[in-house]
Amino acid sequence: MKLRTKLTWFNTISKLVIVTLFVLLLPELIKNINQNYTDNRLRKQKDKVLQTVKALGIKNYIQDGQGYAAYTPIKDAYVSLDEDSLIENLDTIQNEQRKVETDTIEYRILSHNFYVDKKKYLLEVGISLDSVNETTGPLQNIAFEILVGMIILTIIADQLYSNYVLAPLRLIIKTKLVGTKFPNFGSYKEVKTSTDDFQQLDLSIHQMIQTIESTFLKEREFISNASHELMTPISILQSKIENMFEEESIADELKVRMLEMQKILNRLKSITKTLLLISQIENDQFLKEDKITISELLQEVYDEISIRLQDKNISYECIVTDDWCLINVNKFLLFNLIFNLVNNAIKYNREDGSIKIQALKENNDYVVKITDTGVGIAPEDLPFIFNRFKKLRQSLQQDSFGLGLPIVKSIAEFHHIKIEVQSEKNVGSTFKLIFSTGLIG
Amino acid sequence: MNVLIIEDERALARELEIFLTNYNYICEVCYDGTSASERVAVNLYDFILIDLGLPDYEGLDLLKEAKRSNPDAAYIILTARAEIYDRIKGLDMGADDYLAKPFSLLELQSRMQAITRRKFGLKNNVVELGDFLVNLTERTITHKNDIISAITKKEFDLVAYLILNKNRTVTRNQLSEHIWGSIINDDYDSNYIDAHIKNIRKKLNAYASADWLETVRGLGYKIRITH
Repeated sequence: MKLRTKLTWFNTISKLVIVTLFVLLLPELIKNINQNYTDNRLRKQKDKVLQTVKALGIKNYIQDGQGYAAYTPIKDAYVSLDEDSLIENLDTIQNEQRKVETDTIEYRILSHNFYVDKKKYLLEVGISLDSVNETTGPLQNIAFEILVGMIILTIIADQLYSNYVLAPLRLIIKTKLVGTKFPNFGSYKEVKTSTDDFQQLDLSIHQMIQTIESTFLKEREFISNASHELMTPISILQSKIENMFEEESIADELKVRMLEMQKILNRLKSITKTLLLISQIENDQFLKEDKITISELLQEVYDEISIRLQDKNISYECIVTDDWCLINVNKFLLFNLIFNLVNNAIKYNREDGSIKIQALKENNDYVVKITDTGVGIAPEDLPFIFNRFKKLRQSLQQDSFGLGLPIVKSIAEFHHIKIEVQSEKNVGSTFKLIFSTGLIG
Repeated sequence: MNVLIIEDERALARELEIFLTNYNYICEVCYDGTSASERVAVNLYDFILIDLGLPDYEGLDLLKEAKRSNPDAAYIILTARAEIYDRIKGLDMGADDYLAKPFSLLELQSRMQAITRRKFGLKNNVVELGDFLVNLTERTITHKNDIISAITKKEFDLVAYLILNKNRTVTRNQLSEHIWGSIINDDYDSNYIDAHIKNIRKKLNAYASADWLETVRGLGYKIRITH
């Protein structure tokens, strides 16, 4: 999951949790607020009554021991004043029911005892709970609506900001990491950002790529130089031995020994030539301008290699189900790629074994499969088969030096051909070449 | 025929000289571009072998220069610089052939022979081998007017190469380098040459004895032509 998506999820979820909590608490809160507000109103009312009593005397309300009571017409509030005979002093606010004429109504009532002329009076001020709660609903709704609006606004703001702030990271990933093939050898383009962390990341990635590239270049240069430098001495040695062969005075027994020398020299020559070839491929020194059909290519390989099948009496089958034309390729290199794979299929095959080559379209992929009945490759060896000079145990007695598959890999990479290998020990191997659509004409 | 060898690696130049002298070429050797440039201005040669990697001279410039004073000579580029562009450039500039180091001396000789044949248009290129006639121009082997069509291209190449080096033992390595030279793989064994020879013998023996194709035990093969 992308960082931005994660941040968005977190923001949304955390806000939703807060909103839910708030919405759950809202009725309780509003009730509290309302109650406080009502209580204040009641106290103010009480103070007013007490002031009136103080200024105008209790007689203003109570005459002849008759209690005073006043209601609003819809009975949502009342004030009552009466003489009180109870010993305890009341000064409370609580919810109680009062019967007013025929209706029983729940009120929030302030009860307060006070003395005038050594007489005890009880003042009650009440507001019906219905009128108190009347405002709760609308209040809740308004609060809820504002909240939702604010949440949406902040989510959008978060989204926009994280988008803006993460843009450099996205750019770094897009331009420096995704789809970048090493070595890239492109010039460094700074990603503009005011975030220090991203600046550092960008710079570190750049430095790492630079290190990789310079190591890569050095290795290539070394291989290329070393192989070139080796060519001349090998050339001299080879010529010397060949000239000695021409001499009549040298006995045949000696010539056989010289031949051994020549064989070893040949090995050195093959290694050097192969390394040079790989380095030339990696340095893009081959043109890709040829055109050939896959059936022609396979036929050419067969013509060259068929002679090697005789030794172990290996049967060879080539099935071209779908022929296709390869364009923008190097014929010489592709020939060598297939030649090496088939050559391996022969070399590591058993007596009377078989080789099957198929060219077909497999789910829109153009595929060549080379299957043998050879010694196979152990699963633990599979990851290393394309490494240079890596010789697996079963191939030790073979006349090879471990560069066949590295050539195959270099050529395949040069042409953007994917290689998949399936193998079972003592059963055989299948090398599958998947040609990219850019090569199909 | 006169050959000018331009090669800064003295040991290699020396071996080339010994080898070509053996094959009756008259050789001159230059170890640097400056002296080579003087030589080509004065003398006329049939063959000029140029190493592209000279210390004092750009090989391709020397080639251009030599072409002016020696337009009829055949040029073979010898180089350890196997860069494809050099190769194309060299051939574009009129070199007749190109050999990448390290090469087999026999291969050099066979290329020189091929150039000679091309230049002088040798027509009658028919060799008699026992009851067989080998036509190197038409690339056919016939037995009493029957063309032996079973012989493949590779097999004919082998026979032709042995004829070119007649009465001389050619090793499997040399045969393999000539016929399979362009293929890069990680074999250094050339035993499959034996399989080729076996097939050739089988196909020829169906018509008549092919005992002129000899196996030299432990070394290689040779075609004996006595007349």
